[in-house]
Amino acid sequence: MRAAPSRRRFLAYGVSLGGALVVACRATERPGRPSAPDAPQPPGAFRPNAWVRVGQDGRVTVTVGKSEMGQGVRTALPAIVADELGVEMAQVTVEQASPGPAFGELGTSGSRSLRTLWEPLRRAGAAAREVLIAAAAARWGAPAGECRGEQGAVVHGPTGRRLGYGELVAEASRLPVPEAPRLKPRRELRLVGRDLARVDGPAIVRGAATFSADVRVEGQAFAVVARCPVFGGKAARWSEAEARRVPGVLAVVPIGAGLAVVGATTWAAIAGRAALEPTIAWDEGPHREHGSADAWRELGRAHAGPVAWLGEGAAAAEAIGRAARRVRAEYAYPYQAHAPLEPRNATARVREGGCEIWAGTQGPNRLQEAAAKLLGVPADKVVVHVPLIGGSFGQKSEPAFALEAVEVSKAIGRPAQVLFTRQDDLHQGRFHPASLHRLEAGLDAAGRVVGLRQVAALTSPPLAFGQPMSDELLRGALSGAWDSPYDAAASAAGLAHVPLPAPVGPWRGVANVSHVFARECFVDEVALAAGEEPLAFRLRRLRSRAAFRGGRDQVEVDPARLAAALEAAARALGPPGAGAAGRGRGFACNVYDGHTYAALAIELAPGEGGRLAPWRVVCAVDAGVIVNPQGARAQIEGSVVWGLSALWSQITLRAGRVEQSTYADYPVLRLGEAPKVETLLLPSEAPPVGLGEPAVPLVAPAFLNALFAATGRRVRRLPLGAADVAWPAAGRR
Amino acid sequence: MTAISLWVNGALRQVEVPEDMPLLWVLRDVLGLTGAKFGCGVGVCGACTVHVEGEAVRACQVRAAELGPRKVVTIEGLSPEGRHPLQRAWLEADVAQCGYCQPGQIMQAAWLLAKHPRPSARQIDEGMANNVCRCGTYQRIREAIQKAAGVVE
Repeated sequence: MRAAPSRRRFLAYGVSLGGALVVACRATERPGRPSAPDAPQPPGAFRPNAWVRVGQDGRVTVTVGKSEMGQGVRTALPAIVADELGVEMAQVTVEQASPGPAFGELGTSGSRSLRTLWEPLRRAGAAAREVLIAAAAARWGAPAGECRGEQGAVVHGPTGRRLGYGELVAEASRLPVPEAPRLKPRRELRLVGRDLARVDGPAIVRGAATFSADVRVEGQAFAVVARCPVFGGKAARWSEAEARRVPGVLAVVPIGAGLAVVGATTWAAIAGRAALEPTIAWDEGPHREHGSADAWRELGRAHAGPVAWLGEGAAAAEAIGRAARRVRAEYAYPYQAHAPLEPRNATARVREGGCEIWAGTQGPNRLQEAAAKLLGVPADKVVVHVPLIGGSFGQKSEPAFALEAVEVSKAIGRPAQVLFTRQDDLHQGRFHPASLHRLEAGLDAAGRVVGLRQVAALTSPPLAFGQPMSDELLRGALSGAWDSPYDAAASAAGLAHVPLPAPVGPWRGVANVSHVFARECFVDEVALAAGEEPLAFRLRRLRSRAAFRGGRDQVEVDPARLAAALEAAARALGPPGAGAAGRGRGFACNVYDGHTYAALAIELAPGEGGRLAPWRVVCAVDAGVIVNPQGARAQIEGSVVWGLSALWSQITLRAGRVEQSTYADYPVLRLGEAPKVETLLLPSEAPPVGLGEPAVPLVAPAFLNALFAATGRRVRRLPLGAADVAWPAAGRR
Repeated sequence: MTAISLWVNGALRQVEVPEDMPLLWVLRDVLGLTGAKFGCGVGVCGACTVHVEGEAVRACQVRAAELGPRKVVTIEGLSPEGRHPLQRAWLEADVAQCGYCQPGQIMQAAWLLAKHPRPSARQIDEGMANNVCRCGTYQRIREAIQKAAGVVE
């Protein structure tokens, strides 16, 4: 028999990690070319592509290319492969990909994982299944069409004969891999749509799961870094003597971000830094006077300056000018921090000619490139491992934090972990930008919206990162503003970018968070001005609008799907009660990035301590096929808690510094404050889209609209204060 | 530096550490028990919760040198095979999202159930009030505690 193992070439490289052989495979090459003579032979496994391999024991290993930070990718993505392949989750081992030629970009962001990998992973699983079926059919001398793959075996329909996948590995490895395998019709999928428990759950509850900060490498030192508390400042002079006297301190190393204090333990490093800090003279740079009031003043001023528009800015302004009735309002959203429970950290082992990095990062490829550049080595000499991430929410996208570990390891000649303390993590953040939104609408005599304009002043992260202005950039920066789903004769959204000192970056829900907050509060105000109930107003303006293009990719958006979600949430809430005192309902809805249709209803009621609190929270989403309903509900539940936390938190600035240091002054919701969230996953046959973010932007407006319904108080500026939710409302009626 | 003996998960461990070193860093950086997590360092998040003589404490707030003969149990020692009723209930309710806070949540909940075997909703609220979950898994934490306690809401 002629051995032509075309997939041998898929084996790109192998690296040893804690005794296990981690193998990345090349997915892009075409079968049929002779294999490279030096390519190592995979030991006894069938590897049809980069994502899946089948061992002789029948064990299936699925490689996950997305970073797991709580959104459930290590469960949902393998389930897609397993379903097409025809194996149970219990047979699947999940492996985390490292950047390499076998894979494309592994970055995790924008609720894109399921949406972009659904088709490729189904093909990967289906191709493996077809090859295994072909191998079994050949052995039986039966037509492949009479065979199917299920529960880890090929079954010959007419005779009931079975061959386990593991028994077919040798033959399958010699067969060509189809490029366009038949995908199972929806009704044949058995895992997709079923509640699947998180694959890392058992390790997590035993304390055995390895998060980024839990990485321990032979000979590793621990470091914390003294960074200038003022944005953009740096250490000018310091004295190491005090720090070096602290037991366990090994070194003080100047790095780009500041002064790294290296210890035998994290505690030694922390104690050493405490001794070092009083000796540091900071060059605080130009922002030492900057405070929150300055930021808000600059944002206000920007509204009088140049605005970059998407849509029909002039036409909308003219229509509003001619309108029978005009509504105007201004909304303010503060700086917010990510505050993931695991602060940023990374471990690096720099050796001659390369390095290994373990980092809970959302962008392993960018980290690999940046580390290679820093060290002056080719990218393939930098191996990036992505352990479990103890929360990220957009924070751990930039490579800078992990490069600190590379710098320290290089300087001390041994592996090093750099950990941000909680205070470091809050002070040295890239925040969700503070923003000031001005909206205006014009209504004609019949109550139709003839013009709608929404302008936001903020530090836009992509522009702050130096990306050139373009319509494409604006479609992201104005997400939720330019692609408002409501019927309006002329509408436009504008961005007044203000380069303020505070660093900004992506935060769960990205640009949508503040734009949708402003828009959905404003829709309520416009509805009331038009004399309509906000819910009915929304439904009418969604139903009267034809499909349009929305989201960064300008995909077709069907407002009727959003109307259906909104109606489902309202129906689940039930008919309004008899108007009990202090009860109020608020709604908000949005099409996230043109893909995910989500509606949220919040009913407030007087709770303990004389304050209004969420009594019912119902979220309805149309996110296409739901791969893992249990995971999908978890994302909605978490999004609501995230959004409720953000009603009360803010990052404030004084003398160029962040004023908050921990969860006491940057509060997040506690168990007793978290409502039960009812999630409705609407049936759909559309391909799956993301769920990690779409509900987040809806929470503030639904809450504030409910607050208005309950109290008549219209809050247009966050965060809330205790008086805003006091009941009975002070001075009312 | 001071030499101390420490009872951890039923074993007597000898370590030499700075005398002001919190238990958390002895566990994580010296003994290699990374189940207790660093979240805040000031006792407001609960990620480092362990048991000392059966009581839930914040390992970042306790000096290892001051523990003496008192017995420490970490998440790794809560049950031999991860079969504590709370650990099973946690899996049944599929509580974890990122999972980082969950060892601390489970250790806190174990103490809560030791004090109140059938906790009321208010007792759960109060007993778990100092454990932060940034992913927002609270609704399932509550469900898991009630499941483990055999309490139906």
